[in-house]
Amino acid sequence: MASPTPVHVRDLDKTYPRGAHAVAGVSFDVAPGEFFGLLGPNGAGKSTTLKILATLLKKTSGAVVVAGHDVDRDPAAIRRSIGFAMQDVGLDDLASGSDFLTLQGILYGLHRNEAKRRAGELLDLVGLTDVASRKVGAYSGGMRRRIDLASALIHRPALLFLDEPTTGLDPQSRLAIWQYLEKLNAGGTTIVLTTQIMEEADRLCRRLAIIDHGKIAAEGSPRTLKSQIGGDTVAVTLDVPPGDTARDGQERGGQGIAARAVALVTQRPYVTAASSHAGRLTIVVRDIRGAVPDLLRLLQDNGIAVRELAVSTPTLDDVFLKVTGHQIRAGDTSGSDADAAMRQSMGLGKR
Amino acid sequence: MESWYIFRRNFRIWLGQPMLLIPNILLSIFIFIVFGSSFSASVDIPGFPTADYNDYFTPMILIQTLIFASGDAGYALLTDILSGYFDKLLLAPIHRFSILMGVLLMTAVRMLVMTGIMLIIAVIIGVQFQGGFLGILLIVLICATFGVAWSCISIIIALKTKSAQATQSAFVLFFPPIFLTTGFMPKELLPHWFQIAVTVNPVNYVLEAVRAITIVGWDWTPILQGVFILLGLTTVLMGLATWMFRRATA
Repeated sequence: MASPTPVHVRDLDKTYPRGAHAVAGVSFDVAPGEFFGLLGPNGAGKSTTLKILATLLKKTSGAVVVAGHDVDRDPAAIRRSIGFAMQDVGLDDLASGSDFLTLQGILYGLHRNEAKRRAGELLDLVGLTDVASRKVGAYSGGMRRRIDLASALIHRPALLFLDEPTTGLDPQSRLAIWQYLEKLNAGGTTIVLTTQIMEEADRLCRRLAIIDHGKIAAEGSPRTLKSQIGGDTVAVTLDVPPGDTARDGQERGGQGIAARAVALVTQRPYVTAASSHAGRLTIVVRDIRGAVPDLLRLLQDNGIAVRELAVSTPTLDDVFLKVTGHQIRAGDTSGSDADAAMRQSMGLGKR
Repeated sequence: MESWYIFRRNFRIWLGQPMLLIPNILLSIFIFIVFGSSFSASVDIPGFPTADYNDYFTPMILIQTLIFASGDAGYALLTDILSGYFDKLLLAPIHRFSILMGVLLMTAVRMLVMTGIMLIIAVIIGVQFQGGFLGILLIVLICATFGVAWSCISIIIALKTKSAQATQSAFVLFFPPIFLTTGFMPKELLPHWFQIAVTVNPVNYVLEAVRAITIVGWDWTPILQGVFILLGLTTVLMGLATWMFRRATA
């Protein structure tokens, strides 16, 4: 069955009325069943992009088709097709968890009893059955994210948008949400997520677009992006016998054991570069698969003893730094904290 | 149908916040007693239409209570806008106007409750309603409609500013329409400039309709005048609120 491309975005541009140019010519596509990520710092244009896709914001220019529907011509059809967990979790603090989800179900066209049943199902899925009758306002940050995720799933959407689903959460809650998302994606749900957490992008997303200052700086699978930085690095510490020239870091005349090792490994086709210093080899490989056992065998067969070996992989941090020229500064959520503080003071003012 | 469920949700939220209602009612009772007592001698002024000042003053208390309560609609909407719940409703595949309808339905219920409580207090104090039972029903209808229409002002401000301060401080705007009326004294006893202000204040016509039913009975001229102006006011304010809602959610 030819299902429509879940997300098609071309030259998307958004300038806010007060002049901020939030999105400046973004293009990307998301395939059915894909787990796609928009990775970038605060203010990069991630949330704006997602809100436009979800019909909450009007674009300035460009083409946006979501679930086969044009965002200008048929926003109502898009709303029926998607689930959206927003960054500013829009919960009803004075309603109980189950009342909140039941109303969501009704608003998405379920009958009352059906909505109640679905609410129970989802509370179970996100592990909130015990607190179903408590007011949402009393939930912890992690619980709020979970019930918000549940509300986005109420109508079993085939396409799910998530705006920073785990920002500000403790590692345990984060892991729980990752596991739900992986399960959903495995079940066929197409997911588009924004994040500023490298680990999250790396673990969940099959494909990523790095977005900075409203533009896409790089796009590809986490693996491809990281391999652009250069390959994995294997660091080998040799067991250098007494008297060997490698002891003091001098590889005189290429006679020492380390120099011999460098010469040996360089001959391997998957090795792109190798060097040594004070008995430590640094070997950059194109493809880590099978490299470690082969290197060990090679050195051992030539009578070179290995004391220690470590593999390091370039991280998305390295990728981000390379393509944008700066660090992402994850965890800087001062903006949303201010919002929360304001909301709280408002609540105290009148409740 | 969606409006109904959104209303039900708003109603439940309102029930969970009794402190939105109680201070308002207490303030009205306070004003009723203090002003009603301090002006009680006015009935001896030649030309004053009633023998008991409370009979004359009751319509004023009703209008004042409703205007004071009219800020709650905007405040409730703003709370949802700031919490993000409003966006969540916009995201749902429903007719967007059902969100506004849900707010207005809730406002109507709130205004009915306020009017009912104040009328019961008036009856307890001994106010006689010359219009009888049907008159009281018409007063309830006029008051609830007026309360909903006037609440549109706070809804408009909330949608326009999306600011808690602006929505809260808008009540300052409510004082001239309340006090530049014949609520305390009949028009003939007011100074000339005040008479002009009273004539251009639409709220005064609504007030006079309610008062006519209370102290005279079925005196059709002020009643029809008041109802006519009330319908105009309702059309304009609801129209503006709808327009602002459309703009805010476009």
